[in-house]
Amino acid sequence: MTELLAALIIVAPTAAGLGAWFADDRQAGRLAAVGMVTALAAGLTLAARVFAEGSLRVFAGEVVVDALGAYVLALVLVVATIAVAGSASHLAHERAAGRVRPHDAGRYYALLLWFAGGLALVPLVDNLGLLWVGIEATTIVSALLVGFTRTPAAIEAAWKYLILGSIGIGFALLGTLLLYASSVSVLGETSDALAWTRLSEIAPRLDPGLARLAFIFALAGYGTKAGLVPFHTWLPDAHSQAPSPISSLLSGAALAVALYALARFHLVTAATLGPAFSSTLLVAFGLLSLAVALPFIVAQGDLKRLLAYSSVEHVGLATLALGFGGHVALLGFTLHLFSHGIAKSTIFLAAGRLVAESGSGRIGRLGGSLARSPADGRALAVAALVLAGLPPSGVFVAEIAILLGGVQAGWSLAAGAAAAILALAVAGFLFHVMRVLVGPPGSAGAGPPASRRWALVLGVPLTVVVAAGLWTPSPIGAALEQVVGVLGGGRG
Amino acid sequence: MTIDPRTAAAIVDGCAAAIVVLGVGLAATRSIGRAIWLVAIQSALTGVAAIGVGLATGAEHLVIGGLLAVGAKGVVVPFVLGSILRRSPVRRERHPLLGPRASLVAAVAIVFAASAGADGAFVGASVAAGRGLPAAIATVLTGLLLIMTRRKALSLVVGLLVFENGIALTAFSLTYGMPLVVELGVLFDVLIAVVVAWIYARRMLDTFGSTSTDQLRSLRG
Repeated sequence: MTELLAALIIVAPTAAGLGAWFADDRQAGRLAAVGMVTALAAGLTLAARVFAEGSLRVFAGEVVVDALGAYVLALVLVVATIAVAGSASHLAHERAAGRVRPHDAGRYYALLLWFAGGLALVPLVDNLGLLWVGIEATTIVSALLVGFTRTPAAIEAAWKYLILGSIGIGFALLGTLLLYASSVSVLGETSDALAWTRLSEIAPRLDPGLARLAFIFALAGYGTKAGLVPFHTWLPDAHSQAPSPISSLLSGAALAVALYALARFHLVTAATLGPAFSSTLLVAFGLLSLAVALPFIVAQGDLKRLLAYSSVEHVGLATLALGFGGHVALLGFTLHLFSHGIAKSTIFLAAGRLVAESGSGRIGRLGGSLARSPADGRALAVAALVLAGLPPSGVFVAEIAILLGGVQAGWSLAAGAAAAILALAVAGFLFHVMRVLVGPPGSAGAGPPASRRWALVLGVPLTVVVAAGLWTPSPIGAALEQVVGVLGGGRG
Repeated sequence: MTIDPRTAAAIVDGCAAAIVVLGVGLAATRSIGRAIWLVAIQSALTGVAAIGVGLATGAEHLVIGGLLAVGAKGVVVPFVLGSILRRSPVRRERHPLLGPRASLVAAVAIVFAASAGADGAFVGASVAAGRGLPAAIATVLTGLLLIMTRRKALSLVVGLLVFENGIALTAFSLTYGMPLVVELGVLFDVLIAVVVAWIYARRMLDTFGSTSTDQLRSLRG
């Protein structure tokens, strides 16, 4: 039964993608929906079982899902479902603008589902080598999606993403190799020498020099995928040029998966060297990301780039939380991962429609969007307030927890600096969003009124995120505690 | 089939030396066609070195991985890259950020620095270590040098392949390579990455009329 669930999570999107590739445009959308919903149902069931019964181990131990893995898996599948749900409207706009060629829709859905399947594979495998293979595979598939519109700017963004992503991920492979070298000298050449479950058991016996070097390479490598400054330069281009549902998946899920990889390396490294080494690096790069993203948010002129730099900001905050450690900050990290993922994927859908209607992403030309497209405008407003960390929302609770946790863990200076940067970034971010919503009307034309289905696609996720700031049902609370337990170095 | 460790060590030594020399040659050439040939030979040699270590130690996965690497990176990849080159109007790296002479000096400096730096850094690894590792580090750095200083899309892909070869050499000098599943996954990913690069290089040709990455400067801030 568990085997079946685990297999479905990967097989359903992969097979549906294969079908969509060859299907005609209308069937492709239906196939994608069926494949994605199947994977989501299987994934949520699996996650619920992990939270109820503890870690699951299937396929001869190749697949191990602990609380952290289950949580990231659920996030990936939920965000991917949002992206699939938002794709029909996106494609309709593109078709109206004459940018969709025959078979494009089928290929788009196929790549989207493979991208989602690759992301879902990462938290399932108990092998840092296969984790690398999964992340690299998602990089390649998503590079095809980033350049899907074939405009010069999209080709540029996709090319940069492919090259910088490949270099970054190469460093992550070097990090994995070094960790493997240190673990082989303890375990001998067994196939589980790269299993993170085994690595955390034998961590105290690993070679400290190799472990240190391995973490540095992994930080550069997965840091590139997560969009940590100074490895972030591809991110604003890729996230702004990609079709909007793909931006949702990139910002909401792919970044979280890269952070997950970083967290696994951090756990092993901290168990080998003590927490000080990797924590300090994470705090430093987290703060740097927050600081560098700030001016780009304040002086931004393009709506989707604004959202992309907000992702850099939030990844910085999450990395900071991981570095702070301690129960409160890690609880903040956990809640933040989900709230940011959901809110960011929704806001990209709303922004994508506004941009498609006006034919330009320039903030100056998008003015008056609230009056012109009320449904998208309202969603943009709510999601922006959530992402800005205003109460009540999951992001608000998460940010407070992270900053308090930082002070508790003795990182008062870093937490104070982060609070100041966040306050400034919020002001800049909301200023630009206000210009889009109620600023002087630009040249944009009005699109067709939003359908009831579209209102649901935007409304349901946002309601969940806002509710997360008000009330946590006790099973969810218990699940969050389990994730924090894993992140704190215990076995979930 | 097995061969004795001394012969295997000689094969690895020979391959590592040739890989480094090819890396220096890559830094010194402006012709993209020649670069594709050189990197194909270099990739094949990393595969041969893996086969040598595999036969000496009886590690079958190294032999299988090595054979696949020779086929994929030594034959398929250069064929794919060559097909773009034939369509491309410009086949030379005309204005690299670092000219061939300066690149040559930089590449040689890298080799010396890598042999000095790797000495004694990793004690107690496999047979190939100590011999393979300086070559591996030099190759990784040469790949990065190529990526940073070249401006043609194809040259960047060549640089990435050199970088990958360096990582592959690191893998088996440190540990006899990774477990087979991982090796296969890595190889598959590299192949797909080259195919995607091929797709985008073609789109660049169609859109901009050349594969020069100088045109990719519109996205700022």
